[in-house]
Amino acid sequence: MLIGVTAGLAAADVSPASPWRHLYIVPVAVAALRFGVAGGLIAALAAVLALGPFVLREIEGHGPTRAAAEGAVTLVMLVVAGAAVGGLAVRARRQRERYETLRAVQRTLAESAPLERTAARLVAVLAPRLRVDAAGLVLDDRRVVAGAAHVDPRSVAAHVLARREPVFVIDTGMTPRPRRAVAVPLTSGDETVGVLAVERFGDFSREERDALVGFGAAFGLALDHARLAARQRRFAEELEQQVSKATARLAEMDRLKSGFVALASHELRTPLTALQGFSELLATRPFAPAEVRRLAEIMRGEIERLGRIVSDFLDLARLERGLAPAIRRSVLDPAPLIAAAVDLFRRTRTTHRLELHVDGALPRLDADADALDRVLKNLIGNALKYSPPGSCVRVHARAGNGVMTVDVEDEGPGIPADERARVFEPYYRVRDTAALGPGTGLGLSVVKSLVEAHGGSVRADAAPGTGTRMTVMLPALP
Amino acid sequence: MPLPILLALGAVTAAAGALAAADLVPLTPARAVGAGAAQGALLATTVAWTRGEPRVCPVPAVGAAVVLAGAIGAALLPFGALAYLAAPVWLWRQRHRLPSLGFVHPPLGLSAAAGAVGALLGAHLLITASLTLGFGVHVPTVEHLAPWLAYDACANVLMTEAFFRGALLDRVQRRWPFAPTAAFVTVMCLARYLVDPLLPRSLEVTAGAIFYLTLLSLANCWMYWRSGSVVPGIAAGVAFFACYRLLHVVP
Repeated sequence: MLIGVTAGLAAADVSPASPWRHLYIVPVAVAALRFGVAGGLIAALAAVLALGPFVLREIEGHGPTRAAAEGAVTLVMLVVAGAAVGGLAVRARRQRERYETLRAVQRTLAESAPLERTAARLVAVLAPRLRVDAAGLVLDDRRVVAGAAHVDPRSVAAHVLARREPVFVIDTGMTPRPRRAVAVPLTSGDETVGVLAVERFGDFSREERDALVGFGAAFGLALDHARLAARQRRFAEELEQQVSKATARLAEMDRLKSGFVALASHELRTPLTALQGFSELLATRPFAPAEVRRLAEIMRGEIERLGRIVSDFLDLARLERGLAPAIRRSVLDPAPLIAAAVDLFRRTRTTHRLELHVDGALPRLDADADALDRVLKNLIGNALKYSPPGSCVRVHARAGNGVMTVDVEDEGPGIPADERARVFEPYYRVRDTAALGPGTGLGLSVVKSLVEAHGGSVRADAAPGTGTRMTVMLPALP
Repeated sequence: MPLPILLALGAVTAAAGALAAADLVPLTPARAVGAGAAQGALLATTVAWTRGEPRVCPVPAVGAAVVLAGAIGAALLPFGALAYLAAPVWLWRQRHRLPSLGFVHPPLGLSAAAGAVGALLGAHLLITASLTLGFGVHVPTVEHLAPWLAYDACANVLMTEAFFRGALLDRVQRRWPFAPTAAFVTVMCLARYLVDPLLPRSLEVTAGAIFYLTLLSLANCWMYWRSGSVVPGIAAGVAFFACYRLLHVVP
């Protein structure tokens, strides 16, 4: 186009004041809009080179005429226009690029990914958009570093982190060609959340450096928001999991309670039916004294069973209200209690062998005798209930380390490992053995609450070979 | 800065000028000695500023001596223009020991563009000077043009690019941004040509030299800054001065 305009100028009247000269502004403006200041100036210089000879020829031939002055003004205006249009074009382009870069950064930060991967992605996004040869990012108090192996304490990034001020290095001094570097803090409010460092062969204008500082502030804010959003996301996920777990647990409790109501009705009805039947027999028929005594003994057993069930219910009601079971402590010797409980079951449950081992003298306890009796009877009763006839149930009591320990071992099917902790929960019954005998699912939870009310502990383990070992540990008096 | 060498070369130049003024030696060898000493001073300073490891680097005085000997040989010997080759050959052999000088291969396209820029400026100079200022363009004989081409390629342009771009610009750009660096180097480069006794003393020629050498220097600064090589600048300079030698203004 320059050549065309020059040819038109030459063909017209060779005067530098020809209207053709105004057409030079077109290629200058186009180059400035397309290539910025450099393009505008190069095109303007090319126009000056093309128009200049006409101006010089006018001056040589006719002196400083009006036409020569108009031509000279045109030359100056072309250079000014090239620089100004190019400058404005560059500024507008940079504004747009800055906006797009921020959008790209926000898009990257919005992705749900670990901070390390996000930082690497950010460096990959930023380097071409900022037109730099290398970019580095330090985040999260130097924990996350992208674009370098680590933060050298003597590096510009470390300096910026310490001083919280942008740094411009005019020559990094490590390459044959000078390499400029800029490091800016990423700020959010008064807090410095990281550092962005960029390097390139070539200048960083003051405008670019100022833009990088502004970008650091916007980037820091976006980063902070992204971190908050990620934290909120994590919190929401955790909350959802907790709610889901709690809902499942409530559903399980509901199911267990429904089962319990059915079971409790059955458990209460059985002794009541027996009592009703035997009492009717005694009221309506004559029996020999020995038979009357036998029936009365059966009725007493059923009444005791009813009493145990009602006690369990009462204890459970206290537990559900967040109260410990009521106990009345006194100093007692546990050995006779243990022996009495074992003797009772030996007499009534002749289908099993029941062994008692006591190692040495047992220490005295500060405990509720009734509660301790209920604990022992519950554990021994369970062991007998869930182990096959003819098998052996062993009760082993010993002292040591300031506690008295009682193990009750059976040779039953045992409790699966994943259910051992749950057997102490109210209403819970082991799935595989629930059918082996009647029960409310309250016994072990009551045992646990009674033992813990004494400051002790109870746990379920696998017994050697097969079966279950329940271990109760109670603090001994010195 | 190799001050002793520069002082010695200055003394040689002054002595040659004094002897020529007193008609004790002919003007041609005296000018050759003066030009050789000036080019030698540029090369000695370039070597002093751009050398790497001191133990293996070339000695600035040797560079200056090579250039001076080449200039004297070119003035005195038959087929003396060949003597100008001494400096580029010496520099080429020493290029690995002068790592920051910029004797590296640039992109081929940039070198071609640089040659085109130099040729464009030279052609514009020819057109402007012949059409507007009345300087004639002559078609020189090979015998007349070859020594000037050898001087421009092997001494004038080579030393200018080596010193002003390879040494001076390289040092200044590590302290300043590009625009003031290029302006400073261009002013220094213009000063070098304006004090050159080979430049005809007239207003038109001085104005033209300022205009074209400013554009040429700015272009060469940009190309060196872009590529880190002096080769594009040499290509542009050689192309420009080849056109310049076609004007009858050249003595």
